[in-house]
Amino acid sequence: MNDSEQTTPNQYEGEVGFVEFEDFVYSKPFHFASGGMIPELTLRYETYGHLNDEKSNAILICHALSGDHHCAGVHSMDERKQGWWNFMVGPGKPIDTSRYFVICSNVLGGCQGSTGPGSVNPETGQPYNLDFPKLTVQDMVKAQSLLVDHFGVDRLHAVIGGSMGGMQTLQWNIDFPERVGRYIALACGARHTAQAIAFNDTGRQAIITDPNWMQGRYEPDAGPAHGLAVARMMAHITYLSDVGMEAKFGRKRRSGDQSKEHFDVEFEVESYLRYQGQSFVTRFDANTYLYLTKALDRFDLFGEDKSLDSSLKGVTAPGLVIGFTSDWLYPPQGNREVVEALLRLGKDATYAELAMDFGHDSFLVRAPKLYDLIRTFLSR
Amino acid sequence: MNANAKKRQVDFQIIAEWVHEGDRVLDLGCGRGVLLEYLKQKKSVYGVGVDIDTDKILSCVKRGVPAYQGDILALLATFPDDAFDRVIFSRTVEELEAPDLTLAEGLRVGKRVTVGFVNHGFWLNRLNYLFKGQRTLNEVYRLPWYQSLPANAFSVREFEQFCEERLITIENRVYLGANWEAEAKFLPNVFAGYAIYDLSRASSVDSAV
Repeated sequence: MNDSEQTTPNQYEGEVGFVEFEDFVYSKPFHFASGGMIPELTLRYETYGHLNDEKSNAILICHALSGDHHCAGVHSMDERKQGWWNFMVGPGKPIDTSRYFVICSNVLGGCQGSTGPGSVNPETGQPYNLDFPKLTVQDMVKAQSLLVDHFGVDRLHAVIGGSMGGMQTLQWNIDFPERVGRYIALACGARHTAQAIAFNDTGRQAIITDPNWMQGRYEPDAGPAHGLAVARMMAHITYLSDVGMEAKFGRKRRSGDQSKEHFDVEFEVESYLRYQGQSFVTRFDANTYLYLTKALDRFDLFGEDKSLDSSLKGVTAPGLVIGFTSDWLYPPQGNREVVEALLRLGKDATYAELAMDFGHDSFLVRAPKLYDLIRTFLSR
Repeated sequence: MNANAKKRQVDFQIIAEWVHEGDRVLDLGCGRGVLLEYLKQKKSVYGVGVDIDTDKILSCVKRGVPAYQGDILALLATFPDDAFDRVIFSRTVEELEAPDLTLAEGLRVGKRVTVGFVNHGFWLNRLNYLFKGQRTLNEVYRLPWYQSLPANAFSVREFEQFCEERLITIENRVYLGANWEAEAKFLPNVFAGYAIYDLSRASSVDSAV
C-alpha cells in the first residue's frame, strides 16, 4: 500500500541527567490483601519532570521483578549505567519529561529501599524475614497509590509497566479505575502459565536449598548467594530468546580459553550468565526474590469465577497492551487474551505485537516501533 | 488526497448509512483506521479495528481508534454471538485465506455484516483477458500477479451465488460504476466496478418455513 503515514520526525531528545531518590514514609499500619499487616511502610522512589498546577500530568512507571525505582538518569558521575528505561524516559523521549511528571517507585516487598522482608520491623527491632506478610500484586499497587496520594494526584495521566510492571498496571485499572487516565502494559498477561510457575519455583528451590538461606534468617552479607545466583541465571535465560542468544553468543568460546578444569567457564554464554548471577547477588535480596516471584505466581485475573471478563469489567481507561513475538515467558497469547476480554467488554483497548528477537526483555530494548507506539498513545 | 486514497474511501458514505448511531462496529482489515474514525465522527460508534500489520495499528493509535493486531479468524472466535451490531469487511474478503469461514464467523459475531469489494467481473478485466490474455494493471490492481494483493479476486455474480448457497440474506446492495462514484444498476456483474452489500444471516425460523 502506498498510503504510509509519516511518523513524527525525530525531535530533540535530552537526558534527565543527575537524579536522586527519595523515601516516602507512610507511618500508619499497612494492611495486606492476605490479612497481614506492617506498622509502617517506606517506598523509595524517583521522579523526573515537573508536576503541573492541575496535577494532571503524572505518569506512574511500574518496574519488573528485578528492576527498581531508578528508571532514568544517573545518580553520580561514577555510575556507569543509566536507569533501566533511560531510552524511554527523558525530555523529548516517548515518556517525555518536559511534558509529564514521571514517578517510579521500588515495589513494596522490594530490596532497593522500599519496605520488604529485609527491612527492620519497628515493633521488634529485627528484620521481618519470613514474618513479612504474604505479598500480592494488589498490595504493591495499594502501596503505590499511597505514594500517588502523597503527591496530591487524584488521577494519573498514565500507568505504564512491563512484565511484573504490566501486571501492576492491569491491577491499577481494576483497583483504582477512576485514577487511571490511560495505561500501557507490556510483555505481561493475566496470569502465569504452568511453565512460568515452574521456572519460578526452580529458582526458589535453588535459594531455599542453599544452606546459607537458614529459613530466611540469614545476615544481610551472608545470604544464600549461590542459590540466588543460580536462580538468576536460570531466570535470565527465560528473559532472552533462543534466536537472540544464538545471535549474541552462538558457540563462541572465551578468548584464549585454556580451561584447566573440565567445568571452568568455556563458552561465552556461560561467562555471561555467571556474571549475571554474580552481579545480581550484590544488588538483590534472596527473600525479596522469593516473595516477588510468589506474588507473580499467585497473580490471576481469571479470579475465583475463572472469568477474565468479570475481573476487567470495571476498567474505564483506554489501554494499550504490547506483546512480543519472541517472548516465551509471557507469550503473545497471554497479552492478547487480556485485550480480547477488554474488547468483549466494549472497552477502548489496543493490542500491538512487535516482532523483536530479544525475548521477554524486548520491552527493555530501544526499537522504533515501540518508541512510536508509546509516544503516540501517551499523547493522543 | 491522491486518487488511490480517494478510491479507498469511496464506500464510506454507504457504509455509514447502514450504521446506526452508537453501534458497536468491528472493522476487519481496518488498515489505518480511517473508516472507523469516519464512523466515530458521523455515528458515534464504538469501533474496533483488526489488522495484521504493526504500522497500521500505530496509525489507529494515532487516530484514537482501538485496534487489535492479529489474525481475524482467531479474534472472531473469542467473541460471543451478536457481540457487534455490525462487522465490516471493506476490501478485505479478497485477501482472506478462508473467506467462507471468516464470513460465517463475521455473521455469527455481528448482527449485520457489510462487505465491499472490487468487482472482478468488470468488463475491462474481461477484455484484458479476452484480448491480451493477461490481468488488468491499473490503479486498483496496481501490482503484477507475483507480488500482488488481492490474492483472491471475485465477481458480483460469484459473491451473490455464495450468499444464496449459504442462506445469507442480502438486505441491501449498492453497485458503483467504473469510476466508483455513480450507481450502476444495469448488468452489475459487467458494469459495476465496486459492490457493497449489507448482509444478515438467515434466521433459522425463516429457513425452516
